[in-house]
Amino acid sequence: MAFFFRQVSAVFWKDFKTEFRTRERLSAMCFFAFLVLLVFNFVFTPDSETIRNAAPGIFWVAVTFAGFMVLTRSFISERENDCLTGLLLSPADRGAIYLGKMLANLCAMLLLEALILPLMAVFLNIDVWQNMPRLLPGLLLGTLGFAAVGTLFAAMSLKTRLREALLPMLTLPVLVPALLAAVESFRGALAGASLSEISGWTNIGAAFALLFVATCALLFDYVVEE
Amino acid sequence: MGKRLYLWSRILGALALIGMLIAPWLALVYASVERQMGLAQKIFYFHVPSAFAMYAAFFLVFVFSILYLVQKKKTWDVWAACAAEVGLLFCTLVLLTGPIWAKPVWGAWWVWDAQLTLTLVLWLIFVAYMMLKSYSEDPLQSARFRAVLGIIGFLDAPLIHYSTRLWRTQHPEVVRADTIGLPPDMLVAFVFCCAAFIVLAAAILARRVSLEFARDELESLKAGFRVSGTETPG
Repeated sequence: MAFFFRQVSAVFWKDFKTEFRTRERLSAMCFFAFLVLLVFNFVFTPDSETIRNAAPGIFWVAVTFAGFMVLTRSFISERENDCLTGLLLSPADRGAIYLGKMLANLCAMLLLEALILPLMAVFLNIDVWQNMPRLLPGLLLGTLGFAAVGTLFAAMSLKTRLREALLPMLTLPVLVPALLAAVESFRGALAGASLSEISGWTNIGAAFALLFVATCALLFDYVVEE
Repeated sequence: MGKRLYLWSRILGALALIGMLIAPWLALVYASVERQMGLAQKIFYFHVPSAFAMYAAFFLVFVFSILYLVQKKKTWDVWAACAAEVGLLFCTLVLLTGPIWAKPVWGAWWVWDAQLTLTLVLWLIFVAYMMLKSYSEDPLQSARFRAVLGIIGFLDAPLIHYSTRLWRTQHPEVVRADTIGLPPDMLVAFVFCCAAFIVLAAAILARRVSLEFARDELESLKAGFRVSGTETPG
């Protein structure tokens, strides 16, 4: 078991280091998420009640779209010089490779969210800081669920003829419960609901994340198999 | 296996034909007209059985997908892919018959109710399943990918259901846990229609799978012919 977690952390640090040294993925996707945020400001009337009500949705749309970039990059970079084959040839457990990559994607997305949240607080004029403790569970669980399903589907879609274009089509329908839970718990937290009041949503988010982290770790082997 | 399956598809097809001839009579003539909803309620005899057939087919996709990943036999993949097609067909029927009922009763073609959202999302997942099939480069890989999606899609269904139910719901609950709230004549028509639809789904599935087996057999015969064809001339 300890050996398994050493493998997970090795894959995780490999991805984290390459990302940290190049920073190409993170800067591009932050800029992209920022643009999505701005576009929504132009689409809805700024400073209106509508846009503040839509804030949770806007946030998750920005995170989801930028998230697809994170996910595809994490496997496109592995394809160069056949890195993925090398990784698969190593004696590491396939589940450990999946978990390592998934955690790296999760970290990248959490970083993105940490950058986007303050920007959203400024542009949409909503109070994020005061509600932070109640926002966090929904945010973490939603991101974990997205990373879990997305990492598996990214590995899959890059091997099809449509490449990364297939990723949103595979991921979005499956992601519906996680997105709903994330958006609704976000909305509840912003409206000042207590943690127990939004527990219905965080429970669904937790169930989704747990179920699919486990399932995808088991199924990853069949996706990368040659 | 292919021949016996073909025979089964004929038997089931004949049964489905008889069932489908009797079902409209039972639903439209025999069962009494519902007091509040009037004739619009009649769609219930085709809408709900389609939904049952859809769930049965998607459950089969789940089972066959697991069997395929465990045993790696092509047969299971054929069964899973065909069950997904049948499921998608009945899912489309559910989505088409629902609005016909909803318009006169709810006053809108579509509402974002839990049951409707679940069906729509399942439809989307299995359309993605079909896309995986047509956009894959290698048939073996496509089979594995589809099995993975089939499993994930089915596991996702209860979560979609609970999340959308928490979100909003107004769909009538026909089959409650304690009792079925139907008068006897409606119940007879309903149960018969359910049986007829399930048999129809089974007949289509059996025919579809036997067709796929026949195609495989043809391909292998062709390949064998090509090999022996290159040896003889000279």
